[in-house]
Amino acid sequence: MTRLLDLGIDRIRNSIMDMAKLSEKSVTTAIESYEKGTSTKKVIFEWSEQLRVLQDEVGDLAIELIARYQPVATDLRFIRSCMEIAYGFSRFGRYAYDIVDVLETMGSIADCDKNAVLEMSCTVREMIRISVQALQSKDKNAAEKLYQMDDTVDALYRKYLREAITPHEKTDKRSFDPRCYISALLILRYLERISDHACYIGDSVHYIVTGTSSPRR
Amino acid sequence: MSWMSSKEYTNTISYKLSSLSDTKRHGYKVSVKNLNSWFGSKQALKDINFDVKENTVTALIGPSGCGKTTLIRCLNRMNEMTSSAIVKGSVYLDDIDIYASNVDPVIIKRRMGMVFQKPNPFPTMSIYDNVAAGLKLNGIRNKALIREIVEESLKGSVLWDEVKDELGRPGLSLSGGQQQRLCIARALAMQPEVLLMDEPTSALDPIASAKIEELMNELRKELTVIIVTHNMQQAARVSDYTAFMYLGELVEYGPTKQIFENPQKELTERYISGKFG
Amino acid sequence: MNNTENHHHNIDHRKVIQDAIVRRSYKRKIVNRVFTGVTIVCVMLAMIPLGSILFEVVKNGISAISIEFLTQPQGSIIRGGGGVGPAIQGTLLTVGYASLIGVPIGILAGVYLSEYAGNSKFAYTVRFFNSVMTGMPSIVIGIVGYIVLVITIGSFNITAGAVALSIIMIPIVVAVTEETLKLVPNSVREAAHSLGIPKWKVTLFITLRSAKNGVLTGIVLAVSRVAGETAPLIMTILGTSLFFQGFISPVDALPLRIWRFASQPYEHAHSFGWGAALVLIIMILSLSVLLRFLVLERGFKQGSLVKM
Repeated sequence: MTRLLDLGIDRIRNSIMDMAKLSEKSVTTAIESYEKGTSTKKVIFEWSEQLRVLQDEVGDLAIELIARYQPVATDLRFIRSCMEIAYGFSRFGRYAYDIVDVLETMGSIADCDKNAVLEMSCTVREMIRISVQALQSKDKNAAEKLYQMDDTVDALYRKYLREAITPHEKTDKRSFDPRCYISALLILRYLERISDHACYIGDSVHYIVTGTSSPRR
Repeated sequence: MSWMSSKEYTNTISYKLSSLSDTKRHGYKVSVKNLNSWFGSKQALKDINFDVKENTVTALIGPSGCGKTTLIRCLNRMNEMTSSAIVKGSVYLDDIDIYASNVDPVIIKRRMGMVFQKPNPFPTMSIYDNVAAGLKLNGIRNKALIREIVEESLKGSVLWDEVKDELGRPGLSLSGGQQQRLCIARALAMQPEVLLMDEPTSALDPIASAKIEELMNELRKELTVIIVTHNMQQAARVSDYTAFMYLGELVEYGPTKQIFENPQKELTERYISGKFG
Repeated sequence: MNNTENHHHNIDHRKVIQDAIVRRSYKRKIVNRVFTGVTIVCVMLAMIPLGSILFEVVKNGISAISIEFLTQPQGSIIRGGGGVGPAIQGTLLTVGYASLIGVPIGILAGVYLSEYAGNSKFAYTVRFFNSVMTGMPSIVIGIVGYIVLVITIGSFNITAGAVALSIIMIPIVVAVTEETLKLVPNSVREAAHSLGIPKWKVTLFITLRSAKNGVLTGIVLAVSRVAGETAPLIMTILGTSLFFQGFISPVDALPLRIWRFASQPYEHAHSFGWGAALVLIIMILSLSVLLRFLVLERGFKQGSLVKM
C-alpha cells in the first residue's frame, strides 16, 4: 500500500526537481548572456516568474500535507526543507534575472575583461549542480563541500572588490570604462549570493538526512 | 548563608547529603529498572529501563500488544489484579521500590492515580459521591474537607462549571467526555503525585479529547503525568517525553520533539511515520 | 496485483449475492410472518394459565376478604367465621426470619464465589453443590428441619421453619449474587482499587453497591419462592390457629392454611381457602412492585449497571 502522504511527497519532489532544472538553466543562460552579449532578459524574466509560481505551489502543498497528514520524522523534515529549498531555487532565478538586468542597463560591455566573472561562474554553476545532485541522492556530505567552494567564491569576490577600489598603475581598458567594473562587481555579487543559497540547499539536505543542522550554519 | 537559621542550614546539608548518597535515581519521580513482566509463559515486557522527571508528561506509544498498557499498569501495581501476571524488576517512586516486599500496594495506588481507557464512574453513585468515594472509603470523615476537595478536584479537571448545580445527578448521566473528566477528578481527589492515564481519550470524540489534552497540560504543573496513547499526534501534542515500545521492548525514549522530528532508531521512524503497524 | 481482474471479481460476487437476495425475498417475507405468528401464539399459551389462575383466585377469593378475615384467628371449623390473621402474621414472621438468616449468608457466599474464589477447585465444588441445592425437593429440606430442629427442641417451632426456608433461599441468593457481581465490569473494580481503597471496602461499597439492583431482585425472587412453600412448613412449623407464641412454638402460614381449608369438605372453608390464596398472591406481588419502586424510582435509572 502507498501511504497517502507519499503521493503528496512525490508531487512536492517533482515540483522541486522542475525548479532545480529551471533555475540551473536560468543561471547558465544569464552567464552565457554576459559572456556572449546575447539578450535574454525576456526569457529569463519568464523563467524567474515560473520559479516563483512553483515556489508558491511547493509552499501550498507543504502546508496542505502538514495539515492533512501531520507528517513526522523524515517526512516532516523533508517537507519543511522543501519549502526552504524552493525558496533557494526561486532566488537563483531572481539573481539570474538581476544579472541580465545589469547587462541591459550597462549596454555593450563586449570589450571588458570578463575573466573574473567567468572564473567565479564556473564554481557557482558547479555548486548549483552539486546542490541539486545532493538533493537527488540525499547526500549529507555535500554541504561540507559546498561550504568549501563558497569560501573560494567569497575569497574571489573580496579579492576583486579590493582590486576595484585600489588606484591603478597599469592603464588597461578596465580602468577607463566604469561599466566594466560596475557590471562585473554587481554580477560577482549576485553569483556570491547564489553560492550562499547553494550552501543553504546543502544544509537542508543535511537536515533531511540527519535531523540536525549542519555545523557551519 | 547568614539569612539561614542554623537548623535550616543543617537541613539543607542533610538534604544534600541524602540526595548525594541516592545518586541512583537522583532527580526522577519515577524510575523503572530492569522491569520484566509475563502473562503465564508469555513475556509482555522485556527489560524496561527509563526515568521520568517530575512535572512532565511522558507518553508511551507503540502498536497494539506492544506492552504499553502492561507497562503503565506495572507502575502502580495494578497489573497484579490480573491473576496470571508476574513482574520482576523494580519501579521506584521517589526513592521507594514499589515492588519491595515491605511496600503495601494500596499505599502506592493512593500516591499514583489512574485513569482508564473507558470512562468508568462508579455506576450507582452521584457526581459528588464519585469524587468523594476515594476519600470516604479511605476513612476521611470531615464533611467540610470532603466538600472542599470535591470542588477543588472538579475544578482541577475543568468539570466544575458544567456540573456545579447538579452534583447529585448520577455520574453515568454525564456525556462520555464529562465522565472521563469526572474520573480524572476522582483520581485527583486522592491528591496523587503521579497520574497514570491509559488511553484516556480513545473512547471520546475530538472535542472531548482536546479538553482532556488541555487538562494534561494544566495537570503537569501539579503532578507527573504518564499517558499511554494509540494516537501519535496526541503524544506529539501533549507530552514532553515519548517512549516508543515494540514487542515488549522499549525501543526509544527521549524528548518528544526529538522522537517526532528526528528519531534515532529506524523502527521508531517507521512506526511514527505510518510505514507499519 | 492485477487491478482490472480484481475489479471484475468483486462485481461477480456482488451479482451472485444480489441474485440470491432477490430470489429469496418472497420466501423470506413469509417465513418472517410465520415466525412472528408462532412467537405470539406461544406467548398466549404461556399467558392463558397465568391469567386464568389469577382470574379464578380473584373471582373466588375476593368475597372472603374482610377486616375480620385479615385480622382474626379462625372460628369454628364447621360453622366458619373468623379469619386467617395468624396465618398472615406467621407467613410474614417465618419468611422474615428466614430472610434474616438466608440473605446475609447467601450474599456473602455469592461475594466469595465471585470476588475471592476465582476458578479454584473449592469454588467449583461450592458452585456444583449450590446448583444441586437449588433443585433439592423442599420436602427433603423439611425433613431435615424436622430432625435437626423439631426433635431436638421438642416441639414444632418457627425457628425450624425459618431455617428450613433459609436453606431453600440461600442457593438462589448465592447464584443470583454471584451472577450479578460478575456482570459488574472489571473497570469499576479497577477504578476503585486505583484509588487505594482496600479490597474488602471495594467489594462491599463499590462492587456490591453497583450490583445492588440485581441482588435485590434475587432476594425478592428467593422470598417469593419460599413464601409459597408448603411442604417444609408441615414438617417444621406445623400450623396453628393461634398468633405468634414465641420462637420455639408452632406458628401458622398462609400456604398451610390454604392446604387445610382445601382439604375440608365445607363450602365456607373453600371460600376462605381462595381468600387466603388471594392474600398470599397480593403479598408476593406487592413485594415485586415494591422492588420495582425501590430500584426504578429511588435508585438511579441510568445509574444501575445491572438491571434484571
